[in-house]
Amino acid sequence: MTPEIMTLADLNLRLIAPELWMTLLSCVVLMMDVFCPKLSKPKLAYFSVSGMALITLQLIGYGIDGTGGTSFSGMFVLDPLAIFFKIFILLSTIVMILASIEAMEKIPYFRGEYYFLLLFSALGMMFMVSANDFLSLFITLEFSTFGFYILVAYLRDNLKSNEAAIKFFILGALSAALIAYGVSLVYGEVGTLLFEEIAANPPEYTIGLTIGLLFIFVGIGYKLGAVPFHVWVPDVYQGAPTTVTAYLSVVPKAATFGIFLRVVFGTFLELKADWQWMIVSIAVLSMTYGNITAIAQKNMKRLLAYSGIAHIGTVLIGMAAGTQMGVESILFYILTYLFANIGAFVVVIIFQNLTDKDDIDDFVGLNRRSPLMAFAMLVFLLSLAGVPPLAGFIGKVYVVVAAVHQGLIFIVAVALINMVISFYYYLIVVKKIYSVEPKEYTPIHISTPLKIAIYVSIAGVLLLGIWPDPFIQASVTASSVFADLIPK
Amino acid sequence: MINDYLLSIILFAPFAGATVLFFISNTQKDVVRGIAAFFSGLSLLASLYLFYTFDVSQGGFQFISRTVWSQTLGISFYLGVDGIGTPMVLASALLMFCGVFVSWDIKDRLKEFYINLLVLGSATMGVYMSLDLFFLFFFYELSVIPMYLFLIMWGRHTKGYKDMKGHINLAGEEKRESVGFILNFNKNSKEYAAMKLTLYLSFGAVVALMGILLVYVKSGLNTFDLLEIGEKGNLSLGVKEIGFLLIFIGFAPIAAIFPFHSWSPVGYAAAPPAASMMHAGVLKKLGHFTIIRICFYLFPEATAEWMPLVAIICIFNIIYGGLVAFLQKDTKFVVGYSSVGHMGYIFLGMASLNTISLTGAVFFLFADAMAMGLLFALAGFIYYQAKTLDIPSLGGLVHKMPFVTACFVVGGAASFGLPGGMNFVGEIMVFMGAWEIYPIQTIIAALAVVITWAYYFRMTRTMFFGKLNPALPDVKDARSWYERLPLVLLVFFTLFFGIFPGKFISVIEKGVTPILARFDSTAGSAIAQQTKLSTHIGDESIK
Repeated sequence: MTPEIMTLADLNLRLIAPELWMTLLSCVVLMMDVFCPKLSKPKLAYFSVSGMALITLQLIGYGIDGTGGTSFSGMFVLDPLAIFFKIFILLSTIVMILASIEAMEKIPYFRGEYYFLLLFSALGMMFMVSANDFLSLFITLEFSTFGFYILVAYLRDNLKSNEAAIKFFILGALSAALIAYGVSLVYGEVGTLLFEEIAANPPEYTIGLTIGLLFIFVGIGYKLGAVPFHVWVPDVYQGAPTTVTAYLSVVPKAATFGIFLRVVFGTFLELKADWQWMIVSIAVLSMTYGNITAIAQKNMKRLLAYSGIAHIGTVLIGMAAGTQMGVESILFYILTYLFANIGAFVVVIIFQNLTDKDDIDDFVGLNRRSPLMAFAMLVFLLSLAGVPPLAGFIGKVYVVVAAVHQGLIFIVAVALINMVISFYYYLIVVKKIYSVEPKEYTPIHISTPLKIAIYVSIAGVLLLGIWPDPFIQASVTASSVFADLIPK
Repeated sequence: MINDYLLSIILFAPFAGATVLFFISNTQKDVVRGIAAFFSGLSLLASLYLFYTFDVSQGGFQFISRTVWSQTLGISFYLGVDGIGTPMVLASALLMFCGVFVSWDIKDRLKEFYINLLVLGSATMGVYMSLDLFFLFFFYELSVIPMYLFLIMWGRHTKGYKDMKGHINLAGEEKRESVGFILNFNKNSKEYAAMKLTLYLSFGAVVALMGILLVYVKSGLNTFDLLEIGEKGNLSLGVKEIGFLLIFIGFAPIAAIFPFHSWSPVGYAAAPPAASMMHAGVLKKLGHFTIIRICFYLFPEATAEWMPLVAIICIFNIIYGGLVAFLQKDTKFVVGYSSVGHMGYIFLGMASLNTISLTGAVFFLFADAMAMGLLFALAGFIYYQAKTLDIPSLGGLVHKMPFVTACFVVGGAASFGLPGGMNFVGEIMVFMGAWEIYPIQTIIAALAVVITWAYYFRMTRTMFFGKLNPALPDVKDARSWYERLPLVLLVFFTLFFGIFPGKFISVIEKGVTPILARFDSTAGSAIAQQTKLSTHIGDESIK
């Protein structure tokens, strides 16, 4: 085999143009912050938002004209799945930056770096969903988490924030080590790192391969925060600035699912018997533990953290199904979760900007103080609980239908019973917001960017619930990349 | 032309009203009321038109409209009514319209109240007209949540709440939120009632969803279309058995079948009047309706096998509900438990599986909706005036509110089955049909009517007659038009269809016959011969 010399033309830069623009954008934002100290920080935020909006448009264009292919010797892939996730990442980053502006103004220092770090993490995740071999999987996972370590510790004088960051960092490093070890074992067994080559020559079952797979799964389980790898989730969610928590609760998880799908379906589908039981057990544990523990929570962010753990479990059901429909349901579910969860956090952010409190009991009588916020919270929580006509209901039904088709009756029964358990704690919050009288009646003022974030989330939740077909079609298109590999 | 959209108009008018209300300020009370009344009135008019243009000679499902909603999942938005759905749509629209006027004087968050009411009403009607299992479940689940909001926002604490001890623990925290509180069956705060109701019904809903998914997958047609599954889906006998159990256990709790009834009196007692009317009137009937629609239609063999057990359980409903109602001291609890008792008669009619009793059962569904609507509306009015519903502390109300007393007597009489009211027709038909199959149960049920008489008479006597309790605040009669309109409407429908049930029965029979025809092919079941129902039954009932 003669060594090939790679030229710039081989790289096919058009495929990574969005990432290049994103790199440029984040660097410009950082430089502007350094060299124009008089520039107001909200302007920086609006600049980042408009830049990302343009990149999103470019990606939508790619999606329409069907641009795709691999680059960097197959390490980087652009296909409908990657485009789906990249648009997802960019849109949620835009919403989160809008929601952060007011909260950032309250932080005494490093206001500008915040936007840079957010953009930088988004960039890492954009690379992550395009990763096409184990090496880039490892690098991009670490790349995206890197920004979050700093963001979690952003409240420098807050003890909880520091504690959260240390926990996050140590467990993140541990999971990185596990993934690296798992990858080395897999490489030792199959002799290649590229997903496509592994999928093309399905490896024989060996004990080393199973153990390697197990290590990778555990590492990814840490990133997802699935039980039993969840212990960092509540503390980090509570300690981190709420804007970061909101971002952390949705986007990295979605991106991790993007790469997880490739590992599971694009690479090791032949070993389904080996990984299915792992995923089923993680899913059952996550749903049950997350929901039951959420009942006892007194802090809003912790409640959402535990409910997030339960939702990860629900998404894993679609993965356990191991079919095309399962993948579609995962993509759709993540969309529904995005709007509902970010929306719920935006309400918490608004409340925290005003009062600096985030216990559930602080939210009592919210309806009397701000009907819009109360209604928004109602919609988001009910969507998370899975009540029609909201997005979460369709998402749950989709996932469950995909699993039932594969005869996974037990896990479906667990999922549905968990749905009722989750009703309980979501409705308790609804009760406090609507039924209990508040301690003070001062109306809450909502600034315009936050209002936009709320309206966008409500619209998303309602649209996905009432007219989901376009989004289902988008999920079908995105999951078509596995069409040759997995059963319908 | 209009017939293609008729069901959509009925269904979406309240939704549209709710959407419009979002943009109205709560301070413009008259505008808010007007919008709620207009859109629910539109729905009512359209459903009256539906009822009178339902083609009896043709039968089957009519006014069908169908839009594909998701090709991938096999879901279409598929509406259509048969002889069973039509009267129930009318009942829902009527109670929603009356509910708007009953709640006219609500001071706190009026707009939100009406939004809730309209969503609740149209979700209910959505179930009655859905022919797609997904949307049937969609609307069913949608109807559960507004009730929770009704209870927590506008409900009242009921018996035992005020002298509730120990709901503050040592740390000074309220224990009302704890799990233990939910399991505590004696302390009736509105939050407790709300959570209990919601969890009961949601749990039932997910069990039913399992059944629906089972049917969806096992039919192998990749569709939720009820009729298509019924015609082409080759469900094996085992699937039918499991499907029946899941769907029956899922939907029977909302019909308050013993022993899953305990949420209902508690919930109705705590709810504001319009919500109690809707829930006791039509939402409760969703249980019977969905069982007839899904179980009877898709699983005739399993239904025939299990119905004898239902016929025994329903006796518990009748006797237990009646006896507990007799012991209650709160008007709404009496009415609530009497509603639990009445559900037993309907289940008896369903269990007999012949034309006359099933027609009677469906007729009873409508009749009970009218009676419960009337009684809860009156109870709400009395509570609004007297600030209490404790029966012993009321008394002599007839001197102050003759109109209300007259309506209450009509509602009570209709409810315990006095000839002339609708319930009598339904009851007598149920008994006639059930007599041939379950003679013992029929005798017990017929004797148990006496219990109903007893508690209604006692309640009416104590509340309205005798001396006026001087401790009561200054109570007034229902004088204004908006207070009288709902009462008059409900009394009118009760008496009118009680005296002239002919049209009604012929409509229902058209819906019942094709369902029972599916049982004919089943061998060895407890199905009686098809009793041809002649119109003279209606005349007999008048005598």
